Amino acid sequence: MAMRCAGVSAIRALCSSANSTRHVHSTAGSKKIVGVFYKANEYAELNPNFVGTVERGLGIRDWLESQGHQYVVTDDKEGPDCELEKHLSDLHVLITTPFHPAYVTAERIKKAKNLKLLLTAGIGSDHIDLKAAAEAGLTVAEVTGSNVVSVAEDELMRILILVRNFLPGYHQVINGDWNVAGIAHRAYDLEGKTVGTVGAGRIGRLLLQRLKPFNCNLLYHDRIKIDPELENQTGAKFEEDLDAMLPKCDIIVLNTPLTEKTRGMLDKERISKLKKGVLIVNNARGALVDTQAVADACTSGHIGGYSGDVWFPQPAPKDHPWRYMPNQAMTPHISGTTIDAQLRYAAGTKDMLDRYFKGEEFPLQNYIVKEGVLAPQYR
Amino acid sequence: MAMKRAGVSAMRALCSSANFARHAHSTSGSKKIVGVFYKANEYAELNPNFVGCVEKGLGIRDWLESQGHQYVVTDDKEGPDCELEKHIPDLHVLITTPFHPAYVTAERIKKAKNLQLLLTAGIGSDHIDLKAAAEAGLTVAEVTGSNVVSVAEDELMRILILVRNFLPGYHQVISGDWNVAGIAYRAYDLEGKTVGTVGAGRIGKLLLQRLKPFNCNLLYHDRLKMDPELEKQTGAKFEEDLDVMLQKCDIVVVNTPLTEKTRGMFDKERISKMKKGVLIVNNARGAIMDTQAVADACSSGHIGGYSGDVWFPQPAPKDHPWRYMPNQAMTPHISGTTIDAQLRYAAGTKDMLDSYFKGEEFPLQNYIVREGELAPQYR
Repeated sequence: MAMRCAGVSAIRALCSSANSTRHVHSTAGSKKIVGVFYKANEYAELNPNFVGTVERGLGIRDWLESQGHQYVVTDDKEGPDCELEKHLSDLHVLITTPFHPAYVTAERIKKAKNLKLLLTAGIGSDHIDLKAAAEAGLTVAEVTGSNVVSVAEDELMRILILVRNFLPGYHQVINGDWNVAGIAHRAYDLEGKTVGTVGAGRIGRLLLQRLKPFNCNLLYHDRIKIDPELENQTGAKFEEDLDAMLPKCDIIVLNTPLTEKTRGMLDKERISKLKKGVLIVNNARGALVDTQAVADACTSGHIGGYSGDVWFPQPAPKDHPWRYMPNQAMTPHISGTTIDAQLRYAAGTKDMLDRYFKGEEFPLQNYIVKEGVLAPQYR
Repeated sequence: MAMKRAGVSAMRALCSSANFARHAHSTSGSKKIVGVFYKANEYAELNPNFVGCVEKGLGIRDWLESQGHQYVVTDDKEGPDCELEKHIPDLHVLITTPFHPAYVTAERIKKAKNLQLLLTAGIGSDHIDLKAAAEAGLTVAEVTGSNVVSVAEDELMRILILVRNFLPGYHQVISGDWNVAGIAYRAYDLEGKTVGTVGAGRIGKLLLQRLKPFNCNLLYHDRLKMDPELEKQTGAKFEEDLDVMLQKCDIVVVNTPLTEKTRGMFDKERISKMKKGVLIVNNARGAIMDTQAVADACSSGHIGGYSGDVWFPQPAPKDHPWRYMPNQAMTPHISGTTIDAQLRYAAGTKDMLDSYFKGEEFPLQNYIVREGELAPQYR
């Protein structure tokens, strides 16, 4: 703990000093690892590969316990009396997951005197107060790349669900109805439409590649231009000015992390400047958009369709407005926790734990907070 | 009428005689054209491009009437007392559409003494008794290519909806629930899965092109092999034996027309040989499947998911089993009647009417029945 306290002020002074030898490595001895995941209940036994749950705990229990470590797994994460709170004071490593996120606040970080390492089983670590983590000298890492394909595929599905007006058709079927006109009056081909991605990082690029054969007009906005070869391959055009790009779009897909800069970026004013009837897909983070502004625009029809798997907060409360607004195609947070993705992020989490025990570095792209410095996308 | 009767026996004797000069061209004078489309009611005025409905009648009324022709449009097509039946005895041209199909039976053809030309506004003319049409010396044509992209896009949407277990997630949202595990236990990436298309005609090929960036194992079965260049481009592998292919597939997409040969081809036996949990997409024709066999397999879980926009008959009755079986993602028949597709098939229909009035040939690929012969895919 002394090391950590000294480290805090030292790190504040340092920018990205290579001399600072604050490796995240365990001192020898048993560690207490806590994992917060979603509960599977009756679904736990239906699939041997369903590792991302409380019941299976990423499949690493035996591996951890055979090395003498303690592993506590829970889904109970909210409020001062929850299971997670009971273990904060002595845990060394906390594993969280965006699909059932444990909100690691500055307050919780303060209480977690033994905490050294925060691992995200998945991608996106905004549920952690990253600034507080940096100031406390913690390391935060995620399994970068583990579910990027999963999310990109899911985004394309949602684009099609909205542009084809699928859900009204499905509703007709289960209600015993048949009214082709009630769907077709606003069903369109994706071909030829203008699709803009806000953010062209890993997921944005994979989406553009999957969109290519649909022959759309593809636009992208990002801090940096993508590789010219990829631009060529996908036909996507760089848009330096976000607000110049947005009104051109028939379809907008959000592909940025949630940071200080991006929180609430799609607010009432920005929404009002979008094309009437615009379709929006958001599998990024719920808090990127203003909840009520989206609900209002869907109700008025200014947003013709909104689909995503992310909300704020998560789990979404029973009365979250997005459940009941018209023109929505929402689901709980699932796009990055397919069975295939779970296997990858479980493996990646295990790999980082292994390196932590051995005092080795993680794959560099996995670091979100290291030695007091936030990864570039979060600054 | 004499010409038509004489033609019947002559045609029966002939195979594919190029000498037989029975063009479908009108004798000069006013023609009676009847169109059967779906009704839009309150949706008619919501979109100026919504031309495929009764109210807009493909947007050709003024054009027809200004040339002195009579144009009758209705959605009332079922039973001996319907509006369509009243006009059968004297109509020259009947325009039908698969989205609200007028079943042109041998009986109706017999009654239609003036009938010369059957035009399908869209693609797929199986709602017409093609043999009877051929024997009666009629020409049957459709707007080949008019909505092939539309249908292919929609198929990819449904593949993703099933493989991602989207609908249970949506149901949770609108029911106030949140249970990630209840969806994730059987949600998968599309990447790496084996997808087989039964039929690789226009739509099948467009689907394969759109599937390419998803990095699946793509298989296709057809009477003919694809162009080697396209095989290379898509990475799709030819499977000569349908039943061998089906057993390999995680996902099966039906892309054949409904013909004598394909009717009921997916029966109880064939379904039982497919992988347990197979996902099936059928935007081709409902009658290619055995309705009850599909319902039973969805109920047992042998079919993990079934999605399509085609039924038999259409409109689907209130009690059609596919509405209420589990593991379904059905809609009414919409994939080929997007606004974009409607504009194309309306234009194509108008173009063929124009050629008909002038005694000119149609684009060759549009003919389904010509001079007593069925197009190859229907033989």
